[in-house]
Amino acid sequence: MEASPTSTGFRQISVLLRGEPEPINAWIQQWNPARALLHVGVIVAGTGLYGAAMGYWRDPLQALFVAVKFPLIILMTTLGNGLLNGMLAPLLGLNLSFRQCLQSILMSHTITAAILGAFSPVMFFMIWNAPLMSAHDRTGYDFIMLGHVLVIAFAGMAGNLRLGRLLAQMGGSVAVGRRVLFAWLAGNLLLGSQLSWILRPFIGAPDLPVQFLRKEAFNGNFFETIFRTVHQLLSS
Amino acid sequence: MPPMIPAAGSPLFPPDSVPLGSNSIEREPVAGVVGAIEAILRQPRRVMYQLKQPGAGGLIVSLLLVALFCSVVYGVVAGTFSGGQQLWAAPVKIGVGLFISALICLPSLYIFSCLGGSQARLAEVFGLVAGLLALMTVLLIGFAPVAWVFSQSTKSTVAMGGLHLAFWLVATIFGVRFLNAGFRHFSSQSDAGLRVWVVIFLLVALQMTTALRPIIGKSDHFLPSAVDKQFFVTHWMNCINSEQDTNTPEGDVVK
Repeated sequence: MEASPTSTGFRQISVLLRGEPEPINAWIQQWNPARALLHVGVIVAGTGLYGAAMGYWRDPLQALFVAVKFPLIILMTTLGNGLLNGMLAPLLGLNLSFRQCLQSILMSHTITAAILGAFSPVMFFMIWNAPLMSAHDRTGYDFIMLGHVLVIAFAGMAGNLRLGRLLAQMGGSVAVGRRVLFAWLAGNLLLGSQLSWILRPFIGAPDLPVQFLRKEAFNGNFFETIFRTVHQLLSS
Repeated sequence: MPPMIPAAGSPLFPPDSVPLGSNSIEREPVAGVVGAIEAILRQPRRVMYQLKQPGAGGLIVSLLLVALFCSVVYGVVAGTFSGGQQLWAAPVKIGVGLFISALICLPSLYIFSCLGGSQARLAEVFGLVAGLLALMTVLLIGFAPVAWVFSQSTKSTVAMGGLHLAFWLVATIFGVRFLNAGFRHFSSQSDAGLRVWVVIFLLVALQMTTALRPIIGKSDHFLPSAVDKQFFVTHWMNCINSEQDTNTPEGDVVK
């Protein structure tokens, strides 16, 4: 039972998740604002729900903040890198228009967001059962953190695997698909990690106030902090 | 023409190459709650076939009613260990806990089924989960007399908890077998996602036993307070340790 290229509504999301090549290729070739809006809607709902589960451990207000921030990061990364990704694709052998590149990335993020949204009840249940957040107890924090890392890594991998397969089909070669995917991933990692750094906190800390942005949000950057931490570890 | 009677000893889950509905008995609608119990135990393929037909809502409701009734009955048996208010609290907690666990895990099951290439719709996935719950709880009823005998003869909450968990695990294995076979008939190309989902479902259900505690033992409160929240491994270790402490007076240690 192949889905038709004109599949509507929620059915489109299951087609994306299954990675059905025919309808997805047709969607890429033909721009449809309603479909793009649906994908944005799934991204906002899926990552928003997951973000709410993430922030809920600290405070319900933190849940609301993260429900807004998580979709923002995904959408801002997609738009911010849209131009670069659209240039990289033809340079690396995949002749796609800017709009088609944007649509492909949006679809991959839609898959990721749908998975995150589906996992949000499980994460919410896990956090609801967790002992109260405390500055002295690291075990609970580490456990929750590990849960988030596993779920987000799985959702991200699933989205990118589907995107990689789609790019390989459109480029007619696995090598071309892989090159474009890695180039896009590198760009998204660079911008996405810095946006996450600016928009912190997500889980929150018990000894720090609940805030949408930290006062020092624009001080430093993600990679600088990693470099400093590694440097401290090596010099101690 | 009356439906053909399948040959005695035919397997419950024939090879996947045999399409659903190839046997005329599988095309017979499942009527009522008793019919649903009979079908889920003896003709699981009939349940799978009927779940794919239009108007499967009646069968799903029957399966859910079976699951609810059986979990409540098993809960009463579990409650006999402590007696008193646990006679009504345990059935409520087991029934509610099982359904909430399934609802929490339902979206991720649908996502995994799509990622595995399955063509199952959300309603069909929901039907398969209803079948899983029904089969699990019907099997638990089979274990209920054994559980009752043990609950009348032991005082150890840990031992009783372990026994109930063992029964639940066996029932889950059979339920998952049904779920797995069901997804194969919905054109699923990979069962890796389903395996991951089973782990998630087990973890959620195990945590539910801690979130809704006490189910077997006694307490002044119906549910633990916010400050008493624990992960299930911590709670079990605490239970085991506290029981060891109460059962090990200094004299016994010397002996």
